[in-house]
Amino acid sequence: MNYLSQVITVTKWEFTRFFKPKNELLGIVIMILVSVVFYFGTRYVLSDSDEKIELAVCQNLDSNLVERLSADFTLDVISESQKSMVLENISDNQEGVLLDEDEAGFVIHAYKKTRSLGKIKEALNDYYQIRQGKQKGLEPGDLTQILSPAPVTESFFYTGNSRNREVLAYFFAGLMAMAVFLSFAYQFTAITGEKQLKITEQIVSAITPQVWMDGKIFGITLTGLGSMLTYALFGVIGGVLIFQFTGAPISAILGYLHLPSILLYIPFALTGILIWNAILAAIASIITDPNNSGKSSLMMLPMVFVIASFLVTREPDSSFSVFLSWFPLTSATAMPMRWAITEVELWQLTGAFLGLVLTFYLIRKLAAKIFHMSILLSGKEPSWGEVFRQLKGS
Amino acid sequence: MEHLSDKTILKVESLNKSFKNIKAVNDISFSLDQGDIFAFLGPNGAGKTTTLRVLLDIIKPDGGQVQWNLNGVNGSVPPSRHVGYLPEERGLYPDIPVMKSLVYLASIRGMEPSEAKRAALEWLERLDLADRAREKLQVLSKGNQQKIQFVASILHKPSFAILDEPFSGLDPLNQEKFIEYIKEINQQGTTILLSAHQMSLIEKVANKVFLINEGREVFNGPIANLYDDFGKKHIIDILFKAPVSESTFQGLSHVENIKWVGDCRVMVTFNQDSGLNKALAELAGIEGMSNITSHKPDLHEIFVELVKKSKK
Repeated sequence: MNYLSQVITVTKWEFTRFFKPKNELLGIVIMILVSVVFYFGTRYVLSDSDEKIELAVCQNLDSNLVERLSADFTLDVISESQKSMVLENISDNQEGVLLDEDEAGFVIHAYKKTRSLGKIKEALNDYYQIRQGKQKGLEPGDLTQILSPAPVTESFFYTGNSRNREVLAYFFAGLMAMAVFLSFAYQFTAITGEKQLKITEQIVSAITPQVWMDGKIFGITLTGLGSMLTYALFGVIGGVLIFQFTGAPISAILGYLHLPSILLYIPFALTGILIWNAILAAIASIITDPNNSGKSSLMMLPMVFVIASFLVTREPDSSFSVFLSWFPLTSATAMPMRWAITEVELWQLTGAFLGLVLTFYLIRKLAAKIFHMSILLSGKEPSWGEVFRQLKGS
Repeated sequence: MEHLSDKTILKVESLNKSFKNIKAVNDISFSLDQGDIFAFLGPNGAGKTTTLRVLLDIIKPDGGQVQWNLNGVNGSVPPSRHVGYLPEERGLYPDIPVMKSLVYLASIRGMEPSEAKRAALEWLERLDLADRAREKLQVLSKGNQQKIQFVASILHKPSFAILDEPFSGLDPLNQEKFIEYIKEINQQGTTILLSAHQMSLIEKVANKVFLINEGREVFNGPIANLYDDFGKKHIIDILFKAPVSESTFQGLSHVENIKWVGDCRVMVTFNQDSGLNKALAELAGIEGMSNITSHKPDLHEIFVELVKKSKK
């Protein structure tokens, strides 16, 4: 049996072990239910914010201000003699707000600071600006003109960095984060589980650690891709439904799907996921007991690099973004993101992709060595010294 | 590498393997011929598993040579298609159906999945487990899991099988059944290297023995030779009516060893120069005996004695 057919056998095994369409669908159904509950729950919780706040205002306030406030609040205009009674009520019953004005300015009396006070301040600001303008001889229209931004017409030669493209770039990064997270979970379960089940010796007597490692990398990558595709598909369907409900044309979603960017993303993402699976498999193989190992936190390492890729959207042509799009641990996400929102030359794409492929080739070799050293050490984790000696020797 | 004869399928020469300062395997040599059932024996920590891992190329030796000549494939690495391995540390996928695991393990050794399925079904029927083929391994009893593990190691009909402690976890009835299975696959052409602690079972199947202790060879050869070396010895098992003192046996000639089993039972080993009659005549003078039996040393007794001698 040759290398390829052995790798295919292991790949199929690992894929069918973890990719369960029924579970994927169940996960999506749960996600939809949680989203629905969250959406309606939030609306319900925030519904009381639509209610008008009861506000007591002193008689001495300007009628223009009272009129402005009456649009947003239920007002109770009180006399000076009622003020102490209202304040007593606020203190005792912890409800109600009183607005007053003295020589220094406006005074808001409330039991404690709440978000609803912001609305009162907003109304006061509007009123105050108009009053100050009037004192300076300005009409409300003049004030609006003064406060309006400069009229600027932007004219660009490159128009690829649209909001839609930026959304697509974030979508790429999100999918990669999901794939890495899934790979983390599956590799961790697969390898530490097999070590604890003591099945490793039986397997490595039949196939080489390199074959086993490669099969795991490919199989679990396929599992991750399967999940990514399922979720991406449901994401698009969800998007279509949202557009339908919001009244926007369904075809608007096509504006987000920039085909060249998607086609470029596929090989980059695939190679990137393979690299992360190789790294995660190597890390998992040096962990014997996931509950008590200090090395478990290392499994979160890939997320740092994926999250770093998000920075590309801030300034895609900066030196830092260019570095991220070349560095093999970030380029799988950063380069397609840059390509989606700015101009990237072909030689940069080719170079970064070759770098990715070469990195994958080397890392899978290195991972197999670490894996070989670690898998038979049941009950004992290799020390960092042993791991580095192995790295040095490889 | 020298050319092995057609008959020899595995030759190990001056094998060495150390872990830090511990010499796990120390200059051992042996060979297996086609059709052998080779018992690889030794106490815990003697170096058995390390040797088996080196043979299977799971770990590399520090020195020495391993030469395979299996189904026309020569070299230091065994052809995985033709080798079966039942490791001492058992392990299969507990949450996967029995049949699926068996087919996978045979497939990675090069057997066609459809053929593996057929062969697995045959074995499961023989082991009265055919109706449980679709069940997950974890729902089976420990004994049945052990049977599945055994099937996994020989399902692909290997020419050479390494069975490390195949009888552990089995009740006496199943141990006897396994003896029959081992004999059967051997008759069908599988050469077997067997490591076990149940000497009475080893005696029933093995034709060659290699005894290892503290990494070194203690005995290597046909099992018949082992009995020949110890064949002239007699162990006389005497049961007394009341406790007896050591002085009772003073003055007996040709006594090699006296082993006390409680206060009233003594096992006396006479060396090979003394005949049984002479030994019994000497014992006849001792009073208070209620029962006396004699037997040749069995493999267990020979094993214990050889290990003791090798430590001296």
